[in-house]
Parts: sequence; C-alpha cells; structure tokens
Amino acid sequence: MGHEPVAVVGIGQTKHKKRRDDLSIAGLVREAAQRALDDAHMTWADIDAVVIGKAPDIFEGVMKPELYLADALGGAGKPVFRVHTAGSVGGSTAIVASHLVSSRVHKRVLAVAWEKQSEGNAQFGLGGGKSGSIGAGGAFAPWIRAYIRKSGAPEHIGWQIAVKDRQNALRNPYAHLQLKDISIDKVRESPMMWDPLHFLESCPSSDGAGAIIVTDKEGGLAAAADGRPPAWVLGTSMRSEPSSFNGRDPIRPQAGVQCAWDVYKQAGITDPRRDIDVAELYVPFSWYEPMWLEGHDIAPVGEGWKMVDRGETAFDGSFPVNPSGGVLSSNPIGASGMLRFLEAALQVRGAAGEHQVDGARVALAQAYGAAAQYFAMWAVGSELPSS
Amino acid sequence: MSNDPRSDTDIAVVSTAYLPAVRREHITETEMLIAVVDEALGKVGLKRSDVGFSCQGSCDYISGGTFSFVPNLDAMGAWPPIHESHVEMDGAWAMYEAFVRMKHGDVEIAVALGSGKSSTGDPAEIYPLELDPYYLAPLGPDPVSLAALQARQLIDSGKTTERELAEIAARSRRDAANNPKQQVRSAETDVDKILAEPYVRTPLRKSDLPPISDGASVVVLATRRRALDLVARPAWIAGIDHRSEVHNPALRDLTDSASTRTAAERAGGIAGVEVAELMAPFTSQEVVLRRALGLGDDVLVNPSGGALTGNPLMATGLVRVAEAAEQILAHGRNRTLAHATSGPLLQQNLVCILEGDN
Amino acid sequence: MSTQTSSTIQFPYKRTLGPVISRFFSELTAQRIVGIRSGDRVIVPPMEYDPETGEELAREFVEVGPAGTVVSWTWVAEPGKHHPLDRPFAYALIKLDGADTNLLHVLDAGSEDAVSTGMRVAPRWRDEPVGRIDDIVAFVPGETAEGPAAGEAQDVQTMDFFSTITYTDVLSPTAERYAASMRAGVLKGQRCPQCNRVFLGRGYCSVDAIILGEEHEEALPDFGVVSNYTIVTPTPYPGQKETEPFARASVVLDGDEMVIAQQQIIGIPVSEIRVGMRVKAQWFPEAERDAAEITSKGWGTVAGFIEGWLHTGEPDEPAEQYLNRVF
Repeated sequence: MGHEPVAVVGIGQTKHKKRRDDLSIAGLVREAAQRALDDAHMTWADIDAVVIGKAPDIFEGVMKPELYLADALGGAGKPVFRVHTAGSVGGSTAIVASHLVSSRVHKRVLAVAWEKQSEGNAQFGLGGGKSGSIGAGGAFAPWIRAYIRKSGAPEHIGWQIAVKDRQNALRNPYAHLQLKDISIDKVRESPMMWDPLHFLESCPSSDGAGAIIVTDKEGGLAAAADGRPPAWVLGTSMRSEPSSFNGRDPIRPQAGVQCAWDVYKQAGITDPRRDIDVAELYVPFSWYEPMWLEGHDIAPVGEGWKMVDRGETAFDGSFPVNPSGGVLSSNPIGASGMLRFLEAALQVRGAAGEHQVDGARVALAQAYGAAAQYFAMWAVGSELPSS
Repeated sequence: MSNDPRSDTDIAVVSTAYLPAVRREHITETEMLIAVVDEALGKVGLKRSDVGFSCQGSCDYISGGTFSFVPNLDAMGAWPPIHESHVEMDGAWAMYEAFVRMKHGDVEIAVALGSGKSSTGDPAEIYPLELDPYYLAPLGPDPVSLAALQARQLIDSGKTTERELAEIAARSRRDAANNPKQQVRSAETDVDKILAEPYVRTPLRKSDLPPISDGASVVVLATRRRALDLVARPAWIAGIDHRSEVHNPALRDLTDSASTRTAAERAGGIAGVEVAELMAPFTSQEVVLRRALGLGDDVLVNPSGGALTGNPLMATGLVRVAEAAEQILAHGRNRTLAHATSGPLLQQNLVCILEGDN
Repeated sequence: MSTQTSSTIQFPYKRTLGPVISRFFSELTAQRIVGIRSGDRVIVPPMEYDPETGEELAREFVEVGPAGTVVSWTWVAEPGKHHPLDRPFAYALIKLDGADTNLLHVLDAGSEDAVSTGMRVAPRWRDEPVGRIDDIVAFVPGETAEGPAAGEAQDVQTMDFFSTITYTDVLSPTAERYAASMRAGVLKGQRCPQCNRVFLGRGYCSVDAIILGEEHEEALPDFGVVSNYTIVTPTPYPGQKETEPFARASVVLDGDEMVIAQQQIIGIPVSEIRVGMRVKAQWFPEAERDAAEITSKGWGTVAGFIEGWLHTGEPDEPAEQYLNRVF
C-alpha cells in the first residue's frame, strides 16, 4: 500500500502589506484561511486538523501563538500542530500538512503560515533583541559576495532580478510591494544596505498569511469533477545541515542539493531544467535566484546567473522563477515559504490569474532558513501522479 | 510468527532516554541532547546514521533565545545533511510528527527529542506571553494563579478536596524517591503535614506545584521490520492522537478535559491500560485528567513521580511517553498510556497508547 | 565556580486590534463593557469568531455588567513585578451580569478574607482610559463601579504591549574554560578526534555530534586573513545603538582550520576593508574582558574579549585563495 495521493484543493492568502492595521493576529490568519476554505468549497467543520507555521515567536511577542490561534482557526476539538523550522517553516508547514493526508491519518487538513512583523521589528528579533543586529541581509551578504566572486557574475544580475520580481508583483494583487516605476537604475541607485546588496535588492518586511487545504485522492478527484482542478503533490522533502563547521559550503549547501534531488526522484523529474515548468524559490535577496538555480541543479554550477542574464527566468522566459513576485515583493517571514508553495499550486491549477505562466503543469517550490541550512521543497503537478 | 498481530507498518518505541530533571543544568541544551541521543541509540546498538528521520521539540521563550533550536540540530549529527523537523511544542508532539512521517513506510528508524532549560527564566514572566495577547497577557496571570483558579473550581464542584490533592502530592513524592531522575525526591510525604503548609496561591500549596526543571528526553521509534531485531518486546504504538480546546481558560469548563478524552478514544481507548503516565504538573490537573479519562483505581498513575516532581518543560511530555514505554520494554506490562499537555490549563492534550505483545 | 550570565530582552510591541477587539477597548474608554452575541450566548470579552466552531460572528454587541459574580479566585499574597497590582490581590473568574462566559480579571479586595466564590464585584475604572483590558484597573467588592465620571468613547485601534524578560544562566564547563582562556588572552579551540575539525568553545563537534572536553583543547593563532565581509547600514529599532555603517568580516585564522565570522575590523575606514587583508586580534585590556556575550547556547564568541581585528600592515594574501573559505 503506497501513500495516499495528496491534492491541494484550497488556497488563500492575505493582501500582504507593511502593516495590516485593520486586523488582529487572529484576523490576519483567518483572512487567509477563510479564502482557502471558500476556494475549496468547504466550511470550518469540514477540516480535520490544523497545522500552523511561523518564524520566531519574538517577532510578535506571543509565545507558542498556535495556542491563542487554535479557536481562531476552528481548532477546538481538533489536532492543532505548530511547526518551526526557521525561514523554511512556511514550506515545512505545507509538507507536514500533506503528510497527515498521505499517511492517511486525516482527510482534510488546513495549513496556515503567517507573520505579523509590524507588531515588532524583524531586525530586533533576528538580533536576539540586542543592539547591532546585522539582520538577514548582513548574514547573507558575505555569501552573496563569495558567489559573485566564484561565478564571475556581473553586478547587473542582482539588479535585473530585483526588477523582474517587482514587475511580476505588479501582476499579483496580493503582493506587498507594487513598484510601478521599478528600474535597473532605481535598484542600482538605492542605498547600499549590506554591501554588495542594495536596498531594492532586499525583501520588504510584511504582515501576511498564506493558507492551503490538502485532501486525499477522492477529495482531489471530486474537486476536479466539480471544475476545480487541484494541484497534486508529486514529491516533498526536508533537509537540514549544521550552521557552521570548517569546510561547509553555505553558497551551495549540500542540504539544498539533496532536498531537491529527493523531490525530483519522487516526482519523476530527471532533468529539472526541462521537466519543471515554473519555480517559486525563496529569494529574499536578489542574488539568491542564481544561487538556488545552481543549488538545486537547475543550472550547472557557476551558470545560474547566465540563465538570469538570458532572460530565461523572466515571466515570459523558458523557466519562469517567482511569477508571484517572490519574497522580494512580500515577506511575512513565517508565511514566505507557504506563499512559494501555494503559488506553485496555483500555477499548476491554472488559477494564478495575471501571473499565470502558460502551460504550467509541473511546478517546484522551495523555502530555506537560518544559515541557509534548513530546506523544504515540494513539486506539484496538474495530473494525478501514477503510483 | 503466525501469531504475530503486527504488520510491517506498525511502529514501536524501542528505546528511550532522558536526563535527570535538575533545577539548573550546567551543560548546554545541545550537549544535553547529545548525551540522551547517545544513550537511547546506544541501548539498541544504533548509530545516528541509522536514523531516517528526527524531530525536535523546544521553545525559544523557554530556552531564552531566538532560533534556539538551530544549534540543537547538531545533536543528531546533521552532516551529511539529515531529514528532520522541529516543532515549537513539547517533544511528545515531535514524536507525533515522527510517527506520521514513519507511516509512509520509507523511514524505518526515527528519533523524537524534547529539550528545555526553564531555569534560565522566570515562569511568571514568560508564561503570560502564551496567553491571548489582547485580553489575557496584559493582566500577567502566572501559571500557578491559573492553576489555582482551576483547583478552586474543582473543589467547589465537589470533584476533589485539598486532602486529595495532598495525597496526590505525597504519592508522587514517594514514587519520586525511588526514581533518581526526578528532582523532588526528599520532600514531605505526610499528608497532614503537607496540609499544614501555607498556600502559594489558595487553594494550592507548594506541594501542588511542579519544580522548575531543565532536561532533555528522547525516544527511538522503529517499524516492525526493525523493531523486532532491536528489542525482544517493543512498545507498540497502538494509537496516538492530540486535540486542542478553546484557548481562553475563562471560556472552558476547567473541571473537565474533553480534548484528553477525545484523544484517548481516538488512540484506542483506555480499556486494559495498566499504567498511565499523565503530564499533570499540578496535583489538581491529575484529578481532571483521571476523571476525563475515566481511569479506575486499578490503573497505576505516574509511578515515575510524574511532572509534579520533575518538569523539564518541552521534554516533560516526551518523558511521559518514555516512562510509559519503559513499563512495557523493561517491566513487562502489556498496555500503558502516555499523556502530554500544552497551553494554559490543559488547553492541548496528546494521548499515546502503547502495547506489548506476549 | 560557575559564571552567571544575564540578559534582558525588552520590546515595545504595538498591536493592531481589528474590528472586534477595537470596539471592546473603545467601549472601555467610556466605561462600558460589551460582549458579542454568538447563538444563544453572549461572549465577554467579544471575539471575532465563535470559539467552538471558528465561524465568523455577526458584529452584534451587547452591553453587559458592569457588575458580576465571582466564579473562582485565587489570592496573590506577594505580587511580583509582572503582576498588575503591587499590593496583595486576587485573580478571579467573573461572570458579568448579562454574560454567558467568564472573564479573567483582577480583584482588589484588600484581604483574602474579603474574597469568596459567589461574591458580587464591580469595576474600578482607570483614571485616564487608554483602551486596554486594564482600563478596568481591577474589580472591587460590591455592586457599584468606582472611578472618574465616564467620558466619551475614544476610537481605539492599537494597543501597546511592553514585554520584558530577564534570562539568567551559567556558563557550561566548556564555556567556562574557554572564558578563562580568553581572559588570559589565549584563543582556544577544541579539535574533534574523529574529523579533526576545530571548534571554538562549543563543547562538541557539530559534524560528528560527539562531546569535546579539555583534552581536545589547543591554543589557536589570534591572527589571520579576512576571507569575506559585508558593510551593514544599521536600521533603527528599539534598543539599536549603532548609527553609522559598520563592517562584519570573516577571519580565517592562520593554519586555515578555523573561520571566525561576523568580526569587526578596526583601525581603518570600512571602505578599505578587503578580502586577503592580514589582520591580528586587538584584545581588550585584561581588566575589561567580559564573558557576558557567552550564553548558555555555548558556541564560543570572541565578543567581550577581542575588540576587533587590526590590519597588520603585511602585504595582502591573494584574494582567490579565499574563495572557498566562507566558513
């Protein structure tokens, strides 16, 4: 007896903003969850279990907030589960939810990931509450510098991605940043925040939530028969490695390589560049796009930036990356991985609206966290996988 | 093996380990975890590289730092990279995730861990932060005050007495005296003397409260294929389930625990259970849990001494699983129950039923 | 003897309330308590959703109280600094008149003898309401609310929450030895007998997950080469003291076995920092060396012992040599 096939039948997200001053924390997660329920043609009573993900609790100053949120997500009397795997948590949350279905423990599971960063301050949180926080940018900038040096990539690659993702965001009404006049010049001339990263090469700080509802084969087929084709989960994986030891390569972490190949194997992907139609990669700083193209063997090592340079990762390119606008356009940290995962599902359902990539049948989503050491990935497809 | 009631997809606890609960552990949380993983794997002759999946449970606010779980990853020997996860929950829920992951059949050995260093902070300062941030946290209700509100309702409704609470304390302390891993091992066990002690929060005395403890715990899970090679008599997980309730304690019937009852039913029910390890950090909560589960006097409750005499938060629930499993692995019992809780006044409850085959 | 460490994490969170909590807090500023109708019940304080089902509630607010009946209580004889009153008080579950649920709040009754289940209580209002749950400073015995004359309701949309937690810990034996060595001006690492990698005051090998003890310790050079860096433009946040761009560099110690990340390079403008530059540790004067930055997480840090790294003046090493020495 193999795994139960898993179908994503409900997807919802908030309008991501610098500050959702119209909502409580419960209101924020419920906005996303209710949209997922509506999308799935379900009510709260239909849900068997709830999985909640978010990044460090210090961001909002609420410890184990899944407790306070349990009833906000219809969790009274149900299993409510809290995942925390650093920045990859939004992806891990989707995977843990999918496993509850693929293991046949539950039939319909709601997964919600969120962050309300405006309640606190991310730099403060990431600095452990102390002065002189270098933030995520300060931690990743040296590795980006190393990537640039090793690959010989020209500096305009980072600017180009910063523009591309913001232009994609203009197609996505949920995206936080809507920078209509974004340009290479504007990126280049924006302040240098974490040398070599300019301000406009960095993600914003957002309030937001993303939700999915996963169900079994029967539920997925029923939705399809009702004219609401689901996204079928083709493969999932999580991999972690220690943050620091002599000889570790944080530029192309082994955990990321292995995580990707674990997913590819399950999904029957032998040539990721050819077999995947669209990818949502966790790119909080522009240069992470070529780094992950190489880190997940989509491009040969040292050549990820060339895919970018040739325009292949553009919205109308041959391998579109982050049609949603990506983390560079919306970054409610704990939700950011979930937004990648749900955008991949939207794409293969053909339900991505203005940011729909034509003919997307197989999509890859990825999230990473901490010192680029936690990885969560899934591949989803438009067709029920043959077991 | 024709009488073997187990199938290849069944999962068992094959080994456990936990550190003695102490007021303050001097080694780091990662070092604590290395020690317990070494012990638990060593007992059954496994190496870290044999482990297909691991899941850790810990809490930043209890460990006292942002991303405090990140170094703890190293305790599993995460190079080459490993397949693992982390929950901001007690290790018992980490085991739940490991159990679900193993159900897929491609992982044969998994490890669940729980760890915490409560010693670093003041629970009265930290615990209000897990409450509704608008209506409850600003009022600063500490965990002991909340437990006292629950205890009074139990007493007022005739479901317990202060004497019964003192008896629970005395029994737990007597049991702890025989368990070197418990922290409160030489406290008063005379019920009348306990009742003569002052209140900390009426109607609760010090004897009704848990100590502040540091600790770490581990259980090793194996599928049937491996379990029978590793131990003579695995502790099979007959069922495991967890349920939440409404968050705000003021909206609940605090004298009952419907979620515990539901979880136990879904885990296979209490029929035949000989030993129950209940995570009841307050004496009054043992009363609530026993009643909710319908445990009879024939069921041995918390022979380990329980959370009342050793309470390493984030590891305590998994210690209950470890103790319930050892009742089968080491003491020949046939059916035991482990319970873990999280949140204010038993908001969230997990029940795991374990079985041994003859 | 073990070294105590202590740190306090403070932050002034600013919560946005959404429509329901906002209405409740706004009403409090006019000394009114409202609940919300959920089926046959009136829930107080009001919620956006039915807590049992998750269903959104219609915004049908119902005024309740202000008096009510104590359902349960406990006496706090010795209030701590995180309690709302600085004199003995009770926490109580109170069923307000007209409500179907209990409210957790504070009861200021003078002495424990004055408190009993079933007693009647009414709010004492804050002199100058701000729109928070503690605009009711406490409930007091009796039927009559206390406080100033009620004013107009304010429109309350946000709530301040000041969080402060102090953590204290002791250094692990490894960190203790590491700190002692650092106080003496000697950088000490631990070499894993299995993989031969060196770690700074960590107590274990991150690769092999084995405990490293005193027998694995050896002195390390306190000079090396900058292998990487970034220049950080500080962003303001509560508690942030940095205002000017500052550099953080990785330093490969001579012998190529250890990279220390996120180090300050001192004595030169940040614009002159470069990969390949030879640097040497600038130790704080012995009397000023401080283990406060070492925490229970272990992982030796040079912060508090080494002020930063100074350019030695020697010629640079070829930058290409350090491409793979990020860690």
